[in-house]
Amino acid sequence: MIGPTLSQYLVFSALLFCFGLYGMLTRRNLIAMLMSVELILNAAALNFVAFHHFLYEGDVGGAVFPVFIIAVAAAESAIALAIIIALFRHKNQLDVQDADSLKN
Amino acid sequence: MMANVFFYILAAFILYSALFVVSAHNLFRSAIGLIAVLLGVAGMYLLMDAQFLSAVQIMVYVGGIVVLIVFVVLLVADVTEKTFQKADRWRKLSAGFVLAVFFGITVWALDSHSFTSASQNAQAASVKDYGRALLSTEKEGFILPFEVISLVLVAALIGAITIAGQTQAPVNGQKELP
Repeated sequence: MIGPTLSQYLVFSALLFCFGLYGMLTRRNLIAMLMSVELILNAAALNFVAFHHFLYEGDVGGAVFPVFIIAVAAAESAIALAIIIALFRHKNQLDVQDADSLKN
Repeated sequence: MMANVFFYILAAFILYSALFVVSAHNLFRSAIGLIAVLLGVAGMYLLMDAQFLSAVQIMVYVGGIVVLIVFVVLLVADVTEKTFQKADRWRKLSAGFVLAVFFGITVWALDSHSFTSASQNAQAASVKDYGRALLSTEKEGFILPFEVISLVLVAALIGAITIAGQTQAPVNGQKELP
């Protein structure tokens, strides 16, 4: 069979995961970090679908799980954006290094 | 052959947009890059015969989550990152180095492991299969995660309203007029 293989998809999603993690490590804005988390979640979901498609085609579990990932991502971004708005009201900026009111 | 070409085009498109997401100084541009990444991943789902997931990805992610993010980016006054202190070069270099090592180890692990297929009846999951799997109470069913995820979503949305929707704090313990 000619076409992309399983390992091509896996390497690609590892690369996407690394990009998301790079964003998490280097960005200092909360919204930008949230977007990086979305990249990471997408890489994970892509892995689920790749394994489903190439190895467990008759088993629907690998195709259903990305739906849960998407639902969790929706809940997570709703909460995170609410926190961002509250933080912006409180401090008037979104730098994670300065959001340390609960320290000390 | 054609699928391979599509795969590489999509992969290049997604990675370029992902680079945009993690490095653009303007948050709005990052959000546009995120839309491109999500559309590209939906295309990859299509390449892997997951049409339903592709539709869900576009509807929920691009139509819901990204719109929410764009709203917040526009609500929060300064879109550009000029006012934020940028990460210094040292941090970027070390993050890039660590992730390159991580990526190398991952590729090595993938390479040294041989995956074997467990099922032979090759048939892409249809929407009917999704429905049956989500609501079945049998061994392969997902009824419990399905119900739990609905509770999680309701709790998260109520929590989001509570956190973001608070008005001015009442003065001296007085109750606010509705």
